[in-house]
Amino acid sequence: MGKMSQSKECIAMLLAGGRGSRLGALTEDIAKPAVTFGGKFRIIDFPLTNCVRSGIDTVGVMTQYQPLLLHDYIGKGQDWDLDLLYGGVSILAPHAAWYTGTANAVYQNENFIQTYNPECLLVLAADHVYKMDYSVMLDYHKKVNADCTIAVIEVPIKDASRFGILNTAPDDSVVEFDEKPEKPKNNLASMGIYIFEWDVLQKYLAEDDKDPDSDHDFGKNILPNMLKDGRRLFAYRFDGYWKDVGTEESLWQANMDLLDDMHLGFQGWHILSRSGGRAPHFIAPTGSIRNTLITEGCEIYGSVENSVLSEGVIVEKGAVVKDSVIMENAYIGKNATVQYAILDEDTIVEENATVGQAREDGGKLVLISRGSIIGREEK
Amino acid sequence: MYTGLCLSDPHPDYYSDGSGLRTLSATRFAGRYRVVDFMLSNMVNAGIYDIGMILNSHYQSLIGHIGMGKEWGLARKSGGITFFPPYLTDERQSVNSEIDGPLQRAVQSLSSAKTEYIVLVDSSMIYNMDYRRAIEAHRTSGADVTAIYAKKRLDPGCCENTVVFDILNGERVVGVGLASDSAPADGCNVSLGAYIMQKKIFFQLVAGEKNCGMLRFSRTLLAEALGRLRVLAYEFKGYSAQICSVETFFQHNMEMLDSEKRNALFNFENRRILTSRRDTLPTKYGQSAEITNSIIADGCQIEGTVVNSVICRNVLIKPGAVVKDCILQGGTVVEKNAELGWIITDRSVIISENRKLIGANTYPAHIARERVI
Repeated sequence: MGKMSQSKECIAMLLAGGRGSRLGALTEDIAKPAVTFGGKFRIIDFPLTNCVRSGIDTVGVMTQYQPLLLHDYIGKGQDWDLDLLYGGVSILAPHAAWYTGTANAVYQNENFIQTYNPECLLVLAADHVYKMDYSVMLDYHKKVNADCTIAVIEVPIKDASRFGILNTAPDDSVVEFDEKPEKPKNNLASMGIYIFEWDVLQKYLAEDDKDPDSDHDFGKNILPNMLKDGRRLFAYRFDGYWKDVGTEESLWQANMDLLDDMHLGFQGWHILSRSGGRAPHFIAPTGSIRNTLITEGCEIYGSVENSVLSEGVIVEKGAVVKDSVIMENAYIGKNATVQYAILDEDTIVEENATVGQAREDGGKLVLISRGSIIGREEK
Repeated sequence: MYTGLCLSDPHPDYYSDGSGLRTLSATRFAGRYRVVDFMLSNMVNAGIYDIGMILNSHYQSLIGHIGMGKEWGLARKSGGITFFPPYLTDERQSVNSEIDGPLQRAVQSLSSAKTEYIVLVDSSMIYNMDYRRAIEAHRTSGADVTAIYAKKRLDPGCCENTVVFDILNGERVVGVGLASDSAPADGCNVSLGAYIMQKKIFFQLVAGEKNCGMLRFSRTLLAEALGRLRVLAYEFKGYSAQICSVETFFQHNMEMLDSEKRNALFNFENRRILTSRRDTLPTKYGQSAEITNSIIADGCQIEGTVVNSVICRNVLIKPGAVVKDCILQGGTVVEKNAELGWIITDRSVIISENRKLIGANTYPAHIARERVI
């Protein structure tokens, strides 16, 4: 950064410090944004790629929980073309005090943001897979002259009580926040994507910091406070694919969605990632593949159906993998069976071992944690 | 300090993949690689981050692939990749005037470099080798030049200008010849076109030469120096291959279906073969896909039948299509119920519905890029 003083119109702050405890063992030793998705991506690839493709070249990534793998993965941002001399990606780990909430995380990095003297600040979560052009949202934000614009997606009204719902006026200005309402009045769910006027937000962050009763959270504190003061808050409607991957089930489902529809890759831009660059996969004469995603470094001697395989997975002869998400370098031994399961990285399923039960027989989704060795006797 | 020198095209007469567009080093291999990836990876895996790439002709595709060398860790402030195209020394030179020979182009830049050793390689060779060990052997043996070779059978399809060595007691090179001059036999000592030597020895060898490439270096300069220089042989025991014709392009790509050969190139945790990455999605197999004995790169959508084939990135194979004994390069589309056997497609070829194209195992048919059949 040095002595350069070029301002940026809009920079992004990415909240990547969450534990993602609903993902169970998958996030025991890595942060949720580092969880693998779709064979060769990690969840953080989605907001990072979206930023770059939207022309936002400055991204602060606020890490906290288990940051090691995430820091290593992001590196200097070279895989997202974010290795820039001025701007690019910056990793912002807490250095004075732990981040106490989403708003506090941004507030603690006020100096970083100020370096770029931005007009607008884009605040992003890293819990979802979606492709979105933030520059269109930014145009909208300016057009309606908002202090804050919140991206929303229409959800079926019966599911609305699971989301943060925005009640809006006909011009899509926000009149009320309804966090997980029992009786939803609207079906516009917040996507956790905000654009703020930076000077306005700064004031609210400073006030919030002095409030001892605050959770220092955007959704719970900052946005309601702005609404109370009559600030201009608008909903921005997004109608693409957007999927929460915050639970084991939703992560499994989002992976399976890729089998039905390649919306994440074949329309518009593709997602940038730090893939390992291994040899193409090999399917042996004994291998059989149906309705499956397979990537580099895999060797398939057995049978794979309705599954998503990450790099370097080996499925030995006679083994059966069905309805499963298999992460990097997992090994499935001869005549083993894996059904309706998520196998985390480096899992070994030994010869003749069984994991999970058939989904059609009412089996429950099984999660096998990183580096586990599943022998014949266990399940 | 070591400097690697790669010669991109020691056999300018061959256009290996039938395209007539790419130097040997830029030929596609094993579904996602270019031949040059092997030598660049061997170098950087041995800690050699200062590499000169000598270009002769048809190199546009090669430069495009290597770029600044980012994927190999060669986009650096010191060292990194330096290209030596044919017209570079004298601004008055026109395309028609005499140009400096391949090795001469690098000499000037090398003479001012701090480098002590030169690792000179033919970048049209395919093998994964630990150059650290060869360098170590060179230093401990006190050789003036270490020549890397493999003992192998010369098959009929081998490249015309393949260099073979006479080696005394498994150690000293006492003769350099061409494979075509001697009767092919089992256990030939085939040069892998890789030499390790001190910079000053390299300069001595090429001094006074005007137009010296890899072949002249091995065949003449080194051969003539065998009396005064200690040229020691270093055997490489792994898999190696060289592509120099459509037939050998087909043959060596198909060898990658053999797990032993494939692993000899790609199954080293510490010596990965690096290449450009595009983050293409994993390959999607549909409900009707039938695949056997094939290697398949990412980004494909496969709903048809694929047998004994090498499929590059972003290939679409529609339902009912049958692809057998083929190499399909990036972006090829095989429409419904089309049938292909012994076919090589260049990139972005489209095979229309119900078409049937069959080459022969002795003559795989090549379809030029962006053709619609």
